Amino acid sequence: MARGQIDQLLKMAGHIALNLGAGHDAAAADRTAEHISRFWTPAMTRQLIAYWRGGGEVPSVVAAALASLENSQPEKR
Amino acid sequence: MMLQFYEPEQDYGTPAMAGGEPVSLSIDGESVTVPAGTSVLRAAAEAGVKVPRLCATDSLEPFGSCRVCLVEIDGVKGYPASCTTPVKPGMVVRTQTDRLAGLRRNVMELYISDHPLDCLTCPTNGDCELQDTAGEVGLREVRYGFAGANHLDAAKDTSNPYFTFDASKCIVCSRCVRACEETQGTFALTIQGRGFGSSVSAGQGEAFMDSECVSCGACVKACPTATLTENTIIEQGKPEHSVVTTCAYCGVGCAFRAELKGSTVVRMTPHKDGKANEGHACVKGRFAFGYASHKDRITRPMIRATIDEPWRTVSWEEAIAYTAARFREIQQQHGRNSIGAISSSRCTNEEVYLVQKLVRAGFGNNNIDTCARVCHSPTGYGLKTTLGESAGTQTFASVAHTDVALVMGSNPTEAHPVFGSRLKRRLRQGAKLIVIDPRGIELVDAPHIRADYHLAVNPGANVAVLNALAHVIVTEGLHDQAFIAERCDNSQFAHWLEFIRDPRHAPEALEQATGVPPQLLREAARLYATGGNAAIYYGLGVTEHSQGSTAVMAIANLAMLTGNVGREGVGVNPMRGQNNVQGSCDMGSFPHELPGYRHLSDAAARGLFEREWGVALDPDPGMRIPNMFDAAIDGEFRGLYCQGEDVAQSDPNTQHIQAALAALDCLVVQDIFLNETAKFAHVFLPGSSFLEKNGTFTNAERRISPVRRVMPPLAGKEDWEVTQDLANAMGCAMHYSHPSQIMDEIARLTPTFHGVSYARLDELGSIQWPCNEQAPDGTPTMHVDEFVRGKGFFALTEYVATEERANRRFPLLLTTGRILSQYNVGAQTRRTANSAWHPEDILEIHPFDAEERGVAEGDWLGIQSRVGNTVLRARISERVKPGVVYTTFHHPLSGANVITTDNSDWATNCPEYKVTAVQVSRVTEPSAWQARQQQFDRRQQQLLDTASQPVIEVP
Repeated sequence: MARGQIDQLLKMAGHIALNLGAGHDAAAADRTAEHISRFWTPAMTRQLIAYWRGGGEVPSVVAAALASLENSQPEKR
Repeated sequence: MMLQFYEPEQDYGTPAMAGGEPVSLSIDGESVTVPAGTSVLRAAAEAGVKVPRLCATDSLEPFGSCRVCLVEIDGVKGYPASCTTPVKPGMVVRTQTDRLAGLRRNVMELYISDHPLDCLTCPTNGDCELQDTAGEVGLREVRYGFAGANHLDAAKDTSNPYFTFDASKCIVCSRCVRACEETQGTFALTIQGRGFGSSVSAGQGEAFMDSECVSCGACVKACPTATLTENTIIEQGKPEHSVVTTCAYCGVGCAFRAELKGSTVVRMTPHKDGKANEGHACVKGRFAFGYASHKDRITRPMIRATIDEPWRTVSWEEAIAYTAARFREIQQQHGRNSIGAISSSRCTNEEVYLVQKLVRAGFGNNNIDTCARVCHSPTGYGLKTTLGESAGTQTFASVAHTDVALVMGSNPTEAHPVFGSRLKRRLRQGAKLIVIDPRGIELVDAPHIRADYHLAVNPGANVAVLNALAHVIVTEGLHDQAFIAERCDNSQFAHWLEFIRDPRHAPEALEQATGVPPQLLREAARLYATGGNAAIYYGLGVTEHSQGSTAVMAIANLAMLTGNVGREGVGVNPMRGQNNVQGSCDMGSFPHELPGYRHLSDAAARGLFEREWGVALDPDPGMRIPNMFDAAIDGEFRGLYCQGEDVAQSDPNTQHIQAALAALDCLVVQDIFLNETAKFAHVFLPGSSFLEKNGTFTNAERRISPVRRVMPPLAGKEDWEVTQDLANAMGCAMHYSHPSQIMDEIARLTPTFHGVSYARLDELGSIQWPCNEQAPDGTPTMHVDEFVRGKGFFALTEYVATEERANRRFPLLLTTGRILSQYNVGAQTRRTANSAWHPEDILEIHPFDAEERGVAEGDWLGIQSRVGNTVLRARISERVKPGVVYTTFHHPLSGANVITTDNSDWATNCPEYKVTAVQVSRVTEPSAWQARQQQFDRRQQQLLDTASQPVIEVP
């Protein structure tokens, strides 16, 4: 996947986490995961998970959200 | 179709008085009962008795100047004017006596002694109240003769492109002056001079075009003679029938009577019974309808294999078959998700519904999005989260009961003018005004209007200001405890209370971020909380930010905090921009929601649609517009059906959008003109304007209004028929024979629309959803007894500064907006005489910033951001504060979006159009992008010129 698109997904995930209370609230990771699940395409989520699992750097709240999404998303398309 | 033969709407003489105690009186021996406060003139009219009159009309307060409507009243001396005499119980009125007849003839004699006698060749022959009144009073002679001093040589003012002011026919009834004051609120007209020398003057005795006149046409409608007449009436004569329909410009959704000769629209007049506009209009809806028959209309389908080739005009069958085949090929090669659609916020509800149905049931994915992405998608998210429904809470008429209006990031006198006039009327009656805007919009200081508080917030700091307002209200104990306890989620409120009380949200702590003096902010907060009924009106200056959704939630919090929800005069009012953007969202144009705002994960909702459509639906969210463009550049998204949207002009970071469009294998554009997006297209499907189709639009009040076809579609099909053909060609069966059937399907499947049908719309005129068993006549005010989600939810709204900040390289902040005469990308208005007012986009710059850069009025300025640059002419203005520059985006070559970035709202990806860090400097030539774009435009025009499109006959 193009670097530009990963950067965009990272930026979006980071902003979601920040606005949903990252650093202030233990439930921020859950809320971030829920938001991504509701509004992102599965392909976008898979791409970001793949990047993170491949060693890419992501903020800790986003990583926790991705872990939770990875467990809950069945294989799609 | 509701065919109405041409007849002026009944005029009752003076305004209706709602809600007064019934008063009974006798008029010409008949008993009449009307509400207290009604004039005798109106009481007579309601009883079917026409008292002759000239200066009275029911859209204006009575004036009593013409002395024609005199009556006799038992016990009252003399012959009072019935327009200025309110009814009293037991009054006995006679409207026709010999004495009154004599007096009225005397008055008419005086008028006619100074009036041209060219009735038979006059443009308002047969539609002139002076003519009618002369007939009613039985005028037979003018004993003064016609040799005396008169005004018959008075010059005509033809400066306005849409109407003529013929002063020789003026009877100085002052209706035009009063209409400009009371209805429009611009105060552009006055009566100058005295006695015989009195005459109507625009501005300071200027031509209409040079004055403050905004060309709303209220004076033309009010004028009882030929003095103010539409040029189309002068040229073409009286219409012979009319059809009520709905405007296709902004989210006010004015009802109009399209007045026609055959299938040619002669004029559009605002419909008195239209609940959104009540007989008023603006320059766009009233006069700028000529684009529908402009010579640039494309009326035959076209295809081409690549965008460097000439267009080839083909039959509908060939174009549809080609499109269907290409889309299926692309899906076979690149996967089910490689195609998608963008639905239109200007097309009807029925048309939008079919596009999302085609995507879900035909394409087999959820890659459907709409222009609300780039404007009010944060409203959808924010209001759904806090109140439970993605829509405004009131009617426009509700403002008549408002005591404090808070207008934030909205410029209603330019962008929602008919609502702006309503607001100004209420402000003139004494309501207070708080404006939160980086710019000094007109409402801050206009004739008879002055904002009590203008909080000139720094671009990007909206949430900080809103949090500070809430902090003041809470720490000073001004919140409505009882309302919150009863109506809101109390444990969440406690959580939010702890959050907002923190001193970091105090106005003093946030002053640096907001740029607003703390004392001013505190006073504004107190006014909002304690000034009575308080209503918030907000627009894209709230939503088009990286925290747009947060700001919407903060606004809802303020309304709940102070108990300002659930009745007239209060509420949360998003000023929806497009004529049907509300409808487009209602109809399921978002990639994550079905019609009626039901998330795809709602299995019951999905099941309903699956059973109706006979196909399994993808349960996962699809791509938003920005995702589509990113995926296009990445080679994963390759086919797009774009109906009635011009993303190449309206979306941010133009160069990115252009690269994405150029990367597509098959771009299909359905529109009425070859717009900027169509220059990248492979298939052009000619669309239909609002005059050429049946359907419905939904305005910012949730008001579903009928759109009625008045002329045959120039391309031979209404837009919904094209989508249906494409769906059938792709194996997605659709067999509607009329849009009413589509609405019936929507109603079957959508609880908030259960009671909506074309028959019901004909009965009621318009319907505000929800309309169902609980609310059979619709819902003017929402959240009356409880919020849609049950208890109101106070969302936490931490202020996170945008990453887009002024810095050494880009020290100014650019924000954008709209102007009255042009509409959005200008595709419609630039093809009308409205370009006389705004032929180009201009950059407003504060005198300090201009002086620092050696900029003078009219200089060409290069505006550079981190993503691009463009060139605009300068206007030095103190409307913007130092450090802020402002422009509009109505002309494609302005390149306003070449500069805007891909920063967006965290929740919805609504672009942050309102904050771009820029540098500005004097230049001597257009930008490189502008030069390239001009070449590209010329080339695409050449490729179109060879396509043998029929020539449009302009009436």
